[in-house]
Amino acid sequence: MKTNLNVNALSLGLVRCHDCGRLSKVNVPHCPICNGHLHPRKPKSLQRTTALLLSSYALYLPANVFPIMTVTRLGSGEPHTIIGGIIALIDSGMMPIALLVLVASILVPMVKLLGLSLLVFSVQFRWPINARLATIVYRIIAFVGRWSMLDIFMITILVSLVNLGGVAQVIAGPAATAFACVVVLTMFAATSFDPRLIWDNPNAYE
Amino acid sequence: MSQSVNVMELAACPECDLLLNPLQAAVGEKAHCPRCGYLLQRPSKQSIEKTLALSIAGLMLMLPANLLPLVGIKVLGTSHDGTLWSGVFTLFTEGMWAVAVLVFLSSMLFPLLNVVLSLLVSFYLHFNKPNKYLAHWMRWLQHLQEWAMLEVYMLGIIVACVKLTSMSEVKFGLGLYAFIALIVVTGMLASNLDEHLFWQHIRRLTSKS
Repeated sequence: MKTNLNVNALSLGLVRCHDCGRLSKVNVPHCPICNGHLHPRKPKSLQRTTALLLSSYALYLPANVFPIMTVTRLGSGEPHTIIGGIIALIDSGMMPIALLVLVASILVPMVKLLGLSLLVFSVQFRWPINARLATIVYRIIAFVGRWSMLDIFMITILVSLVNLGGVAQVIAGPAATAFACVVVLTMFAATSFDPRLIWDNPNAYE
Repeated sequence: MSQSVNVMELAACPECDLLLNPLQAAVGEKAHCPRCGYLLQRPSKQSIEKTLALSIAGLMLMLPANLLPLVGIKVLGTSHDGTLWSGVFTLFTEGMWAVAVLVFLSSMLFPLLNVVLSLLVSFYLHFNKPNKYLAHWMRWLQHLQEWAMLEVYMLGIIVACVKLTSMSEVKFGLGLYAFIALIVVTGMLASNLDEHLFWQHIRRLTSKS
């Protein structure tokens, strides 16, 4: 049986298992193959994504305002914010590394927050958008999210290495917790968003 | 509805829900969704055997990568080594327990679980042994992959080293070589794993038992 119909599985009463990909009838509660819960779309996708996004926005501010680490050298402490760390890298002539940190810690979280918000709005208010393009945007957001952990890992290494008492010491600051939360919450937000909702939007075009 | 059995054999795109013919990509080919372009399947040659071999290799690298020093610094004659574990431990003792837990999960526990689950699933599939937990393991494996972040950690090491060169001498430890090898192995694991094929075999084994 060949299908070249441009038709959604759900419109024929079929539901795809999130985990193993097997199709089932729409009223079957559990997948017969892997026993996973079946949902036509991810449950409460928009509500969950919105809630996670709002929490991320709230934490994004302290993550950028408070010091992410304090570098103590010979007794005098010097707090660094995320942006301060990037400026320090530029000052010492490490342009490529500074760019890398700028992309991973500033641009990626910002693009994720704004991009996911736009996707949620476009689904909620049925904006006439290019569904194919929106799906690509979603795919990029889901892919780049984990790379924001770069800053957290860098601090972890610095904290354990530069631990020489009065001579030199690096201590993680309060922004580290806030930033880590932003990364985790936006990753959860990306997974809880169901890209099939983009295609369910009757005003979207291909 | 004489076609109802056939309909169940069809597939759907996970990202746009387009109804598709059953996936039948050959080795070396890629199957993309014609509507949204999602990569549906990329079969690799002997996916199960390669997964089994790579996960054994990964398991052997796990211990040296976790316990041997990754990088060390030398300031005023005293040297300091850092391992994966010492970073987590220092964060914890400084009271940053939330960050410590996140780093522990994403750089130690989830990569380990990833390799162990790959080993378990590919072992049972290779030797054709049914196990009632196969579907659970496979599901966990799919969900964990995103949260194992060894390659991001590697980038963190590079940035930290660049920052440290201005204040001290940086030397690389034995653990770093094991760590890099582990990243290569887990990367190959991820690109080799043909989820469609694995689920087909799991379906066959569970329907037999």
